[in-house]
Amino acid sequence: MSVLIVLFVFYLIDRALDLDLGFGFLSGPGGFAIAQQWVTDYQSSDTRWDAYLVGIVNTVRLILIGIVFAMVLGTLMGLARLSSNWLVSTIASVYVETIRNIPLLIQIIFLYTAVLLQLPRISDTYSAFDIFYLNNRSLALPFFDADGSAGIWFLLVALSAVAAWAVSRSLKRREESSGSNLHPMAMSFAVFILLAAITFVITGSPLNPDAPSLMTTGVGVQNIQGGLQVTPEFAAVLLGLVIYTSSFIAEIIRGSIQALPGGQNEAAAALGLNFYQRMTLIVLPQAMRIAIPPLTNQFLNLTKNSSLAVAIAYPEMVLIGSTIINGVGHAVPMFILIWATYLAMSLLISIVMNTLNNRVQLAGR
Amino acid sequence: MNAPSQLQQPQMYRVKDWMRTHLFNGTGNTILTVLVVLIAGFVLFTVIRFVFIDAEWSVVSVNKRLIFLGRYPKGEEWRLWPPLWAALGLIAAAWGTWSSLSRRDILWLLLAAVFILVFVAHGTEGLLFGGAVVLAAVLYAGVRLSGTDPTMRSRLRLAIIIGWIILLPGTIVIITAFDGVQPALWGGLMLNILLATFGIGFALPLGIALALARSSSLPVVKWFSTAIIEITRGGPLVAWLFIARFVLPAFLPDILNTDVIVNALIIVILFTGAYIAEIVRGGLQSVPPGQREAADALGLSGFNVTVFIILPQALKAVIPALVSQMISLWKDTTLFSILSFTDALGGAKAAFSQAQFVGRQKEALIFIGLIFWAGSFGMSRISRRIEKYLGVGSR
Repeated sequence: MSVLIVLFVFYLIDRALDLDLGFGFLSGPGGFAIAQQWVTDYQSSDTRWDAYLVGIVNTVRLILIGIVFAMVLGTLMGLARLSSNWLVSTIASVYVETIRNIPLLIQIIFLYTAVLLQLPRISDTYSAFDIFYLNNRSLALPFFDADGSAGIWFLLVALSAVAAWAVSRSLKRREESSGSNLHPMAMSFAVFILLAAITFVITGSPLNPDAPSLMTTGVGVQNIQGGLQVTPEFAAVLLGLVIYTSSFIAEIIRGSIQALPGGQNEAAAALGLNFYQRMTLIVLPQAMRIAIPPLTNQFLNLTKNSSLAVAIAYPEMVLIGSTIINGVGHAVPMFILIWATYLAMSLLISIVMNTLNNRVQLAGR
Repeated sequence: MNAPSQLQQPQMYRVKDWMRTHLFNGTGNTILTVLVVLIAGFVLFTVIRFVFIDAEWSVVSVNKRLIFLGRYPKGEEWRLWPPLWAALGLIAAAWGTWSSLSRRDILWLLLAAVFILVFVAHGTEGLLFGGAVVLAAVLYAGVRLSGTDPTMRSRLRLAIIIGWIILLPGTIVIITAFDGVQPALWGGLMLNILLATFGIGFALPLGIALALARSSSLPVVKWFSTAIIEITRGGPLVAWLFIARFVLPAFLPDILNTDVIVNALIIVILFTGAYIAEIVRGGLQSVPPGQREAADALGLSGFNVTVFIILPQALKAVIPALVSQMISLWKDTTLFSILSFTDALGGAKAAFSQAQFVGRQKEALIFIGLIFWAGSFGMSRISRRIEKYLGVGSR
């Protein structure tokens, strides 16, 4: 058996040696344009590696926003399934059973071709108060315009967060030793806001409100400028991922709450806690202990499912990778790179969630 | 004769009570109910108006062949009916020996059959499909009647299992042999069904082998299998399908290197196998170590201990997880449309790309969405039935 395996590995290596395995092609010029960029500024004369970085940023943006929204929607749906209101729980279970049994790819293509691309053209765009726009090219919202010193300010904000954390820690320790209530949460929050505001003024207010506006160019072509513009591709993939993952998260949340002894909720009610207090102080913290490992799995699934964006040409890692391969070949190193990037993301999510898991488990005992 | 009126009154009270406890208990819930009724009513109204008035279902009826068979050559359809008859018959027989149909099941199945006969299969196809349904019903009834005797029942079960094992290779032979249809021309929903069944059929043994290898005491075997499982699970299926197209041909020996669809199928089997391996490994770990020790003490060989003592208990414990892996494979077969195969989703996309069906994406996608939903939902129901039968939840 072992001999066979060693022979097989040698066969693979032998075949692989015939191929060009170097990563040198990544420093060549990309030669293709990427339409959707955010933060990055790639031009078609930049290197292929720069193009791939755009793909990573586009994937990460999808995953981070997707996880947050899927978690919110999934928790709401999970609680709705447990509602004492028959109508609410029935609708929530119909939602879950419908969404999770339809392939994600069909949902994404439906959202893209049948919903978002069917919105009115830009010339008859929906708009509200002249600052929100919705048409088949974009959803535009008011946002902030960052200037050059924004990077420094973000760094200072991160430092303020660290300072706030330190304040909260020392206050908590003093609170434990003295026994008087020093409001560590409120104090650290105040410190954070204060520091962020001071640094905002010092760096010369790097963020300015920026509302989108409808412009008409000389030849009568209309487009929307400024603000935060969400393309239909991004919106379709994000919505699809959020809706699909939320149906699985809803089941996890419902299952973990049902796994708690019913006495917990009843005892909390007998103590006079209202629904919101019972949920946030008694039920959800304990349910989270059970829920975190399967939730981690769902976050990993969402990460991998973000690659379905290929189907509607949202430029994430796999699409940019295969564009490069179509241009110059080098499939094996390119896929090793893509695979390693996904692995790194999965590991990062696992590490964060495992740390969270350890803290939750310890806090209770 | 006044019994009905006496019965009716408590009924009225019951409805009122039910509504009071389930919909209008408290101000908050009453407001919630009214709000939800308004929203749900609006959604339901929109859906019904779409399905019966606004929708133009001709995009589906005209392109039925494209959605169900893709580019499958005309005149070769007869090859598909024997496997379909055999599969439906085996499902009915299996259902009859292991479980029974409740009234609700019969209602749902009848509804599905009527839906297919009214909207999908007409003429000869309708007759052939109707025949399959009748065959399934007859087999189910026959198995129910004859299966009361325990020895007869165990023989029937053995026959059904052998039938399933023959069905997979048999289907390939019927479709491809004697100047048949090569895999490159398979398409439509038929491709999805074949990919899912072959995927699970080959991935299950592969997954079990990988799981056993991972818990082996030989370091080379153990590390190799761990590497395969973890590397495969590291990347998304889309990336693996691209690898099937761009990379795999360089690594395969020429005999296997015939067709992109075969390459993609190999990758799908590897991918599903890796996930199944982790599920089975969980099952292996759930078997108490005393089982192996006891079997060793009885003098069973290592092979016999694994096959007859450990694996049955391990697999039984993970059946629900295996079925949900099957469901996710069934849904993942749509990813083949990304590699521009004409599976059901590819067929639907081709259908609404035609000039006369521009703007009919909703109808085409809802139709195939419904098909995939029915498959997944049905499998999850069957999984729940198996769980109940094996008593997995109640141990």
